Amino acid sequence: MSASQTYLAGWMEIAPTVREDTRQHEIEAALASMVDEYASTLYRVAYSVLRNPADAEDAVQEAFLRVLRHRDTLDEVRDHRVWLIRIVWNIVLDRKRRAKTRPETDDVSELARVLPAKGLSAEQRASAAQHHAHVLACIDQLPGKEREVLFLSAFEELSSVEIAGVLGITESSVRSRLFRARNLMAELLQHSRSLR
Amino acid sequence: MNVFDSNTPRTTASNEAEETLRLLANLPTPEGLEARVHLAIKQAPRSGAVLSWPHSSGSKSAWANSPFARGAAAAAIVAAVMGGCWEVYTRVQPAPSPNTYAMPRVAAPNGFSSANAMRTPRTLNGPVISPGQVKKNPAQKTDPRSVSSSPTKAQTPSK
Repeated sequence: MSASQTYLAGWMEIAPTVREDTRQHEIEAALASMVDEYASTLYRVAYSVLRNPADAEDAVQEAFLRVLRHRDTLDEVRDHRVWLIRIVWNIVLDRKRRAKTRPETDDVSELARVLPAKGLSAEQRASAAQHHAHVLACIDQLPGKEREVLFLSAFEELSSVEIAGVLGITESSVRSRLFRARNLMAELLQHSRSLR
Repeated sequence: MNVFDSNTPRTTASNEAEETLRLLANLPTPEGLEARVHLAIKQAPRSGAVLSWPHSSGSKSAWANSPFARGAAAAAIVAAVMGGCWEVYTRVQPAPSPNTYAMPRVAAPNGFSSANAMRTPRTLNGPVISPGQVKKNPAQKTDPRSVSSSPTKAQTPSK
């Protein structure tokens, strides 16, 4: 290699300093531990809205890629779990909005198929799947704000304060929306039963 | 604390919905999810990679690695480029704009054009001006040759 080639190679080489290198390693280690710790939670959040395993996994990957893009701001984040759920929540809502043309009935039947029904006979399992499908169809009729709170409240590990953090609203708003959602759900279920 | 712990009058009525959503929230995650996410992160392009300053050996050119020197060099490059642009901008004269503007020809509303016909305005019939007559001096003798050459003048009745 000639001297000029060596010089050019010096220009093209990315040469981080020792301090930058150490910091990059720290960030990557923190990101890896976050993946191990929160990937399953994020997947379940994504799946509850998208109801498609492949789409949910895509959303989780996209969330972590966004984190990677903004890795320099990781230190400023107070609660990583809520922050990550918020990221994946925005991603799934965006995807859901874009895929609005897809018929809801397909989602519901797919979901009823994957829901667990342990210790049930085939007949009971089919009946349970039908029931869950019906309930989910009623949930889909709820207004968006109430439906979002109802979805997130189903996660045992999320408190009302954390739900408020994910949605960017106050805790009292979470409670009032949840109250409205429950009332509306009760009305919808009663109404659908009276029609049968 | 979970938000489901709060007791409301209609909680029992909506228990079915909550039960379905809890089932949904507790679904098992697919195997190897974390590994696939790790792989996706590793394969993702690293953004913000800027060409680095060439390696310098020894403390002689250590100043070249300082951020101040890099900033100064970047500022010098920007200044040179901006100066060149300004030079070009000030030398190029804008093309003169024409003084007259061609007005677009508007077609008739029914779709037919006027075929370049010119409109002639109607004017009132004005008074017909006859050519002026010259009074003859009766004392002047009439030249018989001129009478014969212009008989119409001679025959014109005098008023």
